Amino acid sequence: MAISSNHKFRWHIAVFLAPAVLVYTAVMIYPLFNTLRLSLFSEVDQQRVWVGLQNFRTLFGDALWSDQFWNALGNNTWFFIIHMLVQNPIGVALAAILSSPRLRFSAFYRSAIFIPTILSFVIVGFAWKLILSPIWGIAPGMLDAIGLKFLFQPWLGKAEYALTTLSLVSVWQYVGIPMMLIYAALLSIPDEILEAGECDGITGMAAFWKIKLPLILPSIGIISILTFVANFNAFDLIYAAQGALAGPDFSTDILGTFMYRTFFGFQLQLGDPHMGSAIASAMFGIILIGVCLYLFGIQRRLRNYQF
Amino acid sequence: MTALKLENVNKSFGEVHVLKDINLTVEEGEFVVFVGPSGCGKSTLLRVIAGLEDATSGTVTIGGEVVNAVPPARRGIAMVFQSYALYPHLTVKDNMGLGLKQEGQPKSVIEERVARASKMLDLDSYLARRPAELSGGQRQRVAIGRAIVRDPKLFLFDEPLSNLDAALRMNTRVEIAALHRTLSASMIYVTHDQIEAMTLADKIVVLRDGRIEQVGSPMELYNHPANRFVAGFLGSPSMNFLERSVEGLPKGQTLGIRPEHLTLDGKGQIGGEVTHVERLGGDTNLLVRTEQGETLTVRLFGQNTTPVGEKVRLRFDESHAFHFDADNKRL
Repeated sequence: MAISSNHKFRWHIAVFLAPAVLVYTAVMIYPLFNTLRLSLFSEVDQQRVWVGLQNFRTLFGDALWSDQFWNALGNNTWFFIIHMLVQNPIGVALAAILSSPRLRFSAFYRSAIFIPTILSFVIVGFAWKLILSPIWGIAPGMLDAIGLKFLFQPWLGKAEYALTTLSLVSVWQYVGIPMMLIYAALLSIPDEILEAGECDGITGMAAFWKIKLPLILPSIGIISILTFVANFNAFDLIYAAQGALAGPDFSTDILGTFMYRTFFGFQLQLGDPHMGSAIASAMFGIILIGVCLYLFGIQRRLRNYQF
Repeated sequence: MTALKLENVNKSFGEVHVLKDINLTVEEGEFVVFVGPSGCGKSTLLRVIAGLEDATSGTVTIGGEVVNAVPPARRGIAMVFQSYALYPHLTVKDNMGLGLKQEGQPKSVIEERVARASKMLDLDSYLARRPAELSGGQRQRVAIGRAIVRDPKLFLFDEPLSNLDAALRMNTRVEIAALHRTLSASMIYVTHDQIEAMTLADKIVVLRDGRIEQVGSPMELYNHPANRFVAGFLGSPSMNFLERSVEGLPKGQTLGIRPEHLTLDGKGQIGGEVTHVERLGGDTNLLVRTEQGETLTVRLFGQNTTPVGEKVRLRFDESHAFHFDADNKRL
């Protein structure tokens, strides 16, 4: 500080930072704090009144609310687990296959796999709803064509399958992102290290497990946390495919749809911005805790390798 | 027994013909250095021997066995890479032991071989460290240790010293020479540095444009270069080539004189003017521009006070001169 006080205040720094700070504050920081603030109020006789933590007491204490909340959190956790167990391993496997120099048309595959990621969730949700429809969908016909029609179920319509089905649709849509990140990480491993492995007899699958995988662990860590944040903020696909009631019987209800219904209201339910803000604050807390656990618990143990 | 035999080895990358009809024999226990300017194919040749590249045609025989279709790990070779190529996620110990572990060697054998190599290379106190926590010279030794534990029939070094600073390079060079004596293993060493080649090799292979220019012991090559390229490549400062400055030289011929074979002498055959002086303490190098406009280097032993701009005459002994014809072949 003593050193900088000798200098003239450098206005240009503030000037150049201002646009980013203003935009970020307007669209991120202000709404975040305002949401946290709103959750501490309630509306009584069309007057906004301070209620402290009462909204949270209702959310966690009143069975009418807490059952819904725990249902949404449980569903959301399952949604996340499916992504971690299916999306990320498949992403890693695709990247490993794509990075093989012997694969032809790899640029084509890379683009084809990545394209769903840039599609709108509305298109994806609607398209899969049509594909899987028992009445006019193509899934029953296609299964019939290979003699597996007995496997067909109205997956989106049964409470025990709907959430898993939607999770897999989301996996299909977003698998390109871990694939691309891992692909970049794999390309950054120097050839000489892999050749040294070749001289040591470590080729093929052994090269993947013993050399490449340990070296891309930091990237896998980053992907995991990105997946966590994206999944616990998810809303769009469920809304597009199942509507805000996240049917059947709330079996696909996740925190995002629960929050949406509460905040804006849906059908017979009246919107309650204050309870909605309380749910949004709880989501913020959950994500914050998850990210902190990752940053302090896991990322510190991952080594970043400089080649 | 011969450690390595190459017969008519060719290598092309698409249209580019990188190695052209390489024939070479490396005897058991020999230290062979491949030397040549960058792009001459020396590293490619080493990679063909290692099995990291397949020869387009020709046979590679290691220890009496044709290995063209044998993967690198079963060729009985070990390679030390220019960038060391250590596994960044493994400790020094695991870096050295991974190859043996992959072979399925029992733990006790791995322990013992790693211990032996680390003792030889003074790595005992670093065994638990990862490559990122080592200096360049230490990483280099780990890379060599990783080669030693495999107990190969043939060691391959790909420019192993080029990432080290000058002082360390000298030390490591001596260590590699000592290692060769201790292990009495066959080694092939690729470098573009002719000093490394001269100091380490039992046999030097000079390559240019994918062809072997000459093979021989360092002094054979130094004293009897087959052509102008070899003559100019070995020796530092490099040989002077004169076309006009010496009287009586037939047209088209080139005269080669090493800088140390020129002396200042008032009655010398070549006249010129000193354009630059490098005083190294032990030696003094003079750059002289001859009256005919050619530049040559004179290496004088000890210190010399000749100033820049001085007119000098240079003398050489005809017995030390090399003659090259118009095709740069030695006469």
